[in-house]
Amino acid sequence: MIGAALAIARVKLVLEIRRREVIFAMLLFIAATIVIVHFALSGDTGAGNRAAAGMLWAAVVFTAVLGLLRTFSAEHEGGVLDALLLAPIDRAAIWLGTALAQFGFLIVIEVVAVPIWWVLFFQSEGPSIGTVVIALLLADVGIALVGTLSAALALGARTRDVLLPVLVLPLLIPVVLGGVTATYGAFGEEVGGLRPLGFLALYDLVFIALAWGTSEHLLSD
Amino acid sequence: MQPPVITLAECSKRFGERLALRKATLSVAAGETVVVLGPNGAGKSTMLRLIAGLLRPTAGSARIGEVEAISAPKQVRAGIAYAGHQPQLYRGLTARENLELHLRLHQMAADTSALLERVGLGDRADERIDGFSRGMLQRLALARATAHEPVLLLLDEPASGLDADGRALLDDTLRAGIGQRTQVVASHDHELAARLGVREVRLENGGIA
Repeated sequence: MIGAALAIARVKLVLEIRRREVIFAMLLFIAATIVIVHFALSGDTGAGNRAAAGMLWAAVVFTAVLGLLRTFSAEHEGGVLDALLLAPIDRAAIWLGTALAQFGFLIVIEVVAVPIWWVLFFQSEGPSIGTVVIALLLADVGIALVGTLSAALALGARTRDVLLPVLVLPLLIPVVLGGVTATYGAFGEEVGGLRPLGFLALYDLVFIALAWGTSEHLLSD
Repeated sequence: MQPPVITLAECSKRFGERLALRKATLSVAAGETVVVLGPNGAGKSTMLRLIAGLLRPTAGSARIGEVEAISAPKQVRAGIAYAGHQPQLYRGLTARENLELHLRLHQMAADTSALLERVGLGDRADERIDGFSRGMLQRLALARATAHEPVLLLLDEPASGLDADGRALLDDTLRAGIGQRTQVVASHDHELAARLGVREVRLENGGIA
């Protein structure tokens, strides 16, 4: 199961390194979003910590959706999904391998985006970077899990490019809430200690269980 | 007497308004090879996908041995190979990488160079397949389908795009499989069954004629 998932994730990462179809577009999108919002606020770094935190999480979620639109494109274009479905592996491995690759893509874009966000919004003191990184990692797990699950749901639909954001964005609202609260707390504001991080971890666990239980049926006819 | 490897019992498949397969009944014994003939849209591909467990019948049943094809467990799927209209290969990988992934998912080790050599792609093994012609993709799809030595081989119009050498290779592969594994081949080649000396089944308008 884990071996098959890692093999699928590895293939998707190799394809992305060779084709640069997803990450490059995601990087441009998130960087442009952060810069545009910065100028929309007239470069006013005093817009407030909560606004800065919200800006980061909105950019991350919308960028993730952009990447999720291509989730199963490599499998779809060559009919590869048939081969994966017929392989003697747990079908959850297909979902897990794909989610692992999505997680990797998100990490790459955040490595670039977070420093840009930091430089543009905090000229002096910013939030605790450790808390922001942990929140992002937990959120990335949730986004990858939920996004891949939603992409599998939308797979058979002719209008999947429209359907996927409609499916996935409401499901990601808790991630945004948890992420914003955790990031705001990282400025030293009192928002419940580690509770937002715990909330993000719980969200991940719920969707791991849900996806594990449904992937066999989701990926079948 | 051994139970049939494939049993379609009044199997129908509907896509929206269109009835793609109508009450098809077919039994294929272990080691038997069957050629399915029929014009475009007759239901050949739908029948093969139902047998492979990639589609759920709207009515009736499609069984592999004792189990419903759609819910075939891993152990049963391990013995099935299906090559459809699409090559089922990652376009951004090389021919060798595609075979390696396939073998890995089947938890098998095999000499990929020999497999590629056998289908005439030995010298293109490390090229990305997005530059391959239709015929080369068909050859690679054939190598992938037979790499894990399946007991049930399902081929959907495997000759399309193949040159004369490729068609001879396909005939040789099918001939070598007669009596060794169960084979169902959807084809437009009306001579294929006669050439191989096997049973043929005709599909017309979604039903077995």
